[in-house]
Amino acid sequence: MFRQLGWLAAGVMAALTAQAEVRVQVVDGQGQPLADAVVSIQAPGTPASTAVMDQVGKQFVPRVLAVSTGTAVAFPNRDDIRHHVYSFSEPKRFELRLYHGTPSQPVQFDSPGLVVLGCNIHDWMVGYIYVSADPWLAVTDAQGIARFALLAGDYPLTLWHPDWPQPQPWQGRAALSANTPALPLAVRISAAAPAAAPSNPFAEAFQRTLQQHAD
Amino acid sequence: MRISFFARVSLGVMLLLLLVIGSLAGALQQAAQQALERHAQEQLNIGARVFERLLALRSQQLQDEVRILSSDFGFRDAVASADVPTLRSALRNHGDRAEASEVLLLDLHGQIKASTSAAFAEGQPFAYAQALLTQLQNPQHLLVVPVDGVPHLLAAATVRAPLPVAVLIMGFEIDRALADELRQLTHLEVTLLVQTDNSKPRWLSTLLNAPAQQLELLRQLDSDSRHWQPLALAGEHYLSLAVPLSEAADYQISAFLHRPLNAVSAALLGLRERLLSIAGLAFGASLLLALLLARTVARPLERLARSAQRIGQGDYQAPIERLRVPELAALGAALGQMQHGIAERERQLAHNALHEPHSGLPNRTLLEERINSAIAAERPLGVLLIGVANFSEWLSARSGDAEQQLAQALAQQLLELRRPGLSVARLLDDRFAVLLEEASAAELITLADQCQQRLSQLRDWQGEALGLQVHIGVASYPQDAHSSEALLHCALAALHEAQMHHEPVQVYEQAKDAARQRQIILVRDLRQAAERGELQLHYQPKLNLRDGQIRQAEALLRWQHAELGWVSPGEFIPLAERTGSIAALTRWVIEAAVAQIAQWHAQGLVMQVSVNVSAADLAAFDVCQVVEQALSRHQLAAQQLVLEITESAVMQDQQHALAVLQALRELGVGLSVDDFGTGYSSLAQLRQLPVQELKIDQTFIRQLGPEGDDAVIVRSTIEMSHRLGLKVVAEGIESALVLELLRDWGCDVAQGYYISRPVPASALQAWLASDAAQVLQG
Repeated sequence: MFRQLGWLAAGVMAALTAQAEVRVQVVDGQGQPLADAVVSIQAPGTPASTAVMDQVGKQFVPRVLAVSTGTAVAFPNRDDIRHHVYSFSEPKRFELRLYHGTPSQPVQFDSPGLVVLGCNIHDWMVGYIYVSADPWLAVTDAQGIARFALLAGDYPLTLWHPDWPQPQPWQGRAALSANTPALPLAVRISAAAPAAAPSNPFAEAFQRTLQQHAD
Repeated sequence: MRISFFARVSLGVMLLLLLVIGSLAGALQQAAQQALERHAQEQLNIGARVFERLLALRSQQLQDEVRILSSDFGFRDAVASADVPTLRSALRNHGDRAEASEVLLLDLHGQIKASTSAAFAEGQPFAYAQALLTQLQNPQHLLVVPVDGVPHLLAAATVRAPLPVAVLIMGFEIDRALADELRQLTHLEVTLLVQTDNSKPRWLSTLLNAPAQQLELLRQLDSDSRHWQPLALAGEHYLSLAVPLSEAADYQISAFLHRPLNAVSAALLGLRERLLSIAGLAFGASLLLALLLARTVARPLERLARSAQRIGQGDYQAPIERLRVPELAALGAALGQMQHGIAERERQLAHNALHEPHSGLPNRTLLEERINSAIAAERPLGVLLIGVANFSEWLSARSGDAEQQLAQALAQQLLELRRPGLSVARLLDDRFAVLLEEASAAELITLADQCQQRLSQLRDWQGEALGLQVHIGVASYPQDAHSSEALLHCALAALHEAQMHHEPVQVYEQAKDAARQRQIILVRDLRQAAERGELQLHYQPKLNLRDGQIRQAEALLRWQHAELGWVSPGEFIPLAERTGSIAALTRWVIEAAVAQIAQWHAQGLVMQVSVNVSAADLAAFDVCQVVEQALSRHQLAAQQLVLEITESAVMQDQQHALAVLQALRELGVGLSVDDFGTGYSSLAQLRQLPVQELKIDQTFIRQLGPEGDDAVIVRSTIEMSHRLGLKVVAEGIESALVLELLRDWGCDVAQGYYISRPVPASALQAWLASDAAQVLQG
């Protein structure tokens, strides 16, 4: 079940602290904080070179990981069963055959884009690695808040969320500060909580496509 | 035609059976038909479920195939590679493996990305997206679509990588093989119908292949109906059920299941045959039952009927059969009682018919039988017919059962005679008969005397004589008659003779009997003689010897009997006197004579006519009144009529006769004493009578001569009569000599054949005018 939410008045809440931190809060069309949203800011800086995508309880943890290009991501398996992590996504096709523990080689993500992770033996396991050329990347927490060690200012901004219906992420500019106004992102919100095994993703996608054709 | 009880019962039982079996058969057949139809419907329902299940199973298998393929890592890799030729080859490879008709891959926009079938062109949108979606949401949903007019079962699965990236579809043609499989499973025929907007309906049927018949099929079936539909095809009958497979705006796919009804009919036929055989058995059983019934009831009844017939024919001796069935035994017993009763009553009736109730003696019938049997055996036989003349007088003086007592007493007397060959009978109240076989005439007469004495001397218990007047007539066979009737008649005639002549016993004499027969006829017919015009008066003229005139005539009665001819007055007058018809005769004579006098008078002929009156007449009726009436009717002078009264008549009852004669004399009628000289009267006696005339009997005249006794008597009679003032008439004059003698002696009037014989009135007139009369009158 989906609800179509319209665009609302936009605002960026950025908070510049003494430690030079800006906070970006993303809310959905209804003004509710939106977790697992990727906030990418184009600003000078040095991104982190490694990242970790755990598999815990037959789920990818975190569900959404945002990395800059060139980042090596480790896929440690903390379950007592094996996983077969793969990606058929264009920016990075790879496959980690059935393994325990942490594979010896991390996977390096060189091309920007969205990489959807799956486990070949656990179909419901879906993870997202958002690869961007931007150095500043963060994923919102449960309060929909992402923090950046940046000075307040006007920055080009990119927003994405797994439920974002568009093929391209949202792009714009925003005046960021420690108290940046909340950024609304019109996502399709599943009535159910993110399910362990989505019943019919194709149907959703297909329906979405049909809707667009109708528009 | 009469139908026997047996046949009726059999027929009734059979008809009842027919009715029962018929209605049973009808009900059974209906129930069986309904049951079979329900069975067929049930079979169709089951068939439909099996068919759906089969398709679901096939769909499931296909979906499994599709799912397995869609989750194959290598396949997904290929899908992700987006290299269409690679994809197509992969699809074909897997399609061949699954023996699928087609394998398609759709992208998330519903476009056909790769296809192994020309029917689904790559780059085109998938035509059945809506149905596809339904199945994706509900894997149970069958995805059946028309492909080139053939129904295809499709199965779809999402290809995930791991998010959905494409939809994999595998198609499977629902072909003859599936239909045959279904047929094997359910024994049902299957027809698949594909109807699309833009092409003709297409068929697939296990039933038939000929297009014309397919069209016929199409016409009959209603794919929208969810009910059983009858279907007739090439002479075969089916019950059909439509199973909708798929329906969209522009196409409709249905399956029809057909249950052949021939099996149903065959089952019904079998049922009918079985019923027929049961009916046959039942008929046989009923026939046997009827035969048994006939043996136990009808046959004994027939035998009883034959017994009853025998009884009807008078056979009372044959025993009645004893029967086992209680009702029939009762009937037989009743029949036996009836037989006995009838025999007893018949014996009683026979006795009554042949015996007289009071005396218990045989009656006339039995008597005649005995006589007849004796005659038949030519055994001589004598009959004594006993008459008790004063039987009824004797009875009338007594009362109660006197008749029975008397009859029994008489019977007793007769039965005590005890002779071999003797039998006694009672014919009438006062008539008894005694029969004696092998008896001579003398024996018969002796027996008759014996009987007569026994009966007439009968005394009652007090010793008082009964005083019965018993007469017996005797007749015998073969002397007198040759039949019982004739013999009894003879005996009766003899009895009459005896009674008439007051003789105790009279033996039959044939001559007497003939005379008696004639007398009976005369007596019988005499009464009607006047009415029949058989009576006639003849007139004999009388010659007055003093003046030679003929002015008198005697009227003499003549009877011309229709059969016997002329009957002499000498014969019938005594009979008439005896039987009491003389009065009527005399009356007729007086009136006829007076009428004749009147007639002559009218013609100018004055005649004095004399009429004979007997003693019986004087006693029987008022002669005076009759004469007076006749005269006055014709207005005649009394002097013209003379009544001739016999001497004996006057003498019998002098007082009465005298009175009548006085009265007549006073009328002026002439009175004459007829037949003078035959009786014992004397002239002295005659002197007291008011008569004017005396008629000397012809016995004195006929032989009269100048000398002799007759001459003396006649001359002295004439002389004395004249002295007494009486005229003298002489009759029976047959010669001129006698006439002359009489004339000489002074006789007044002469009458006789010499003058004229008696002639009819007209002849008398003619004679008077004739020369002979003129000569006499001189």
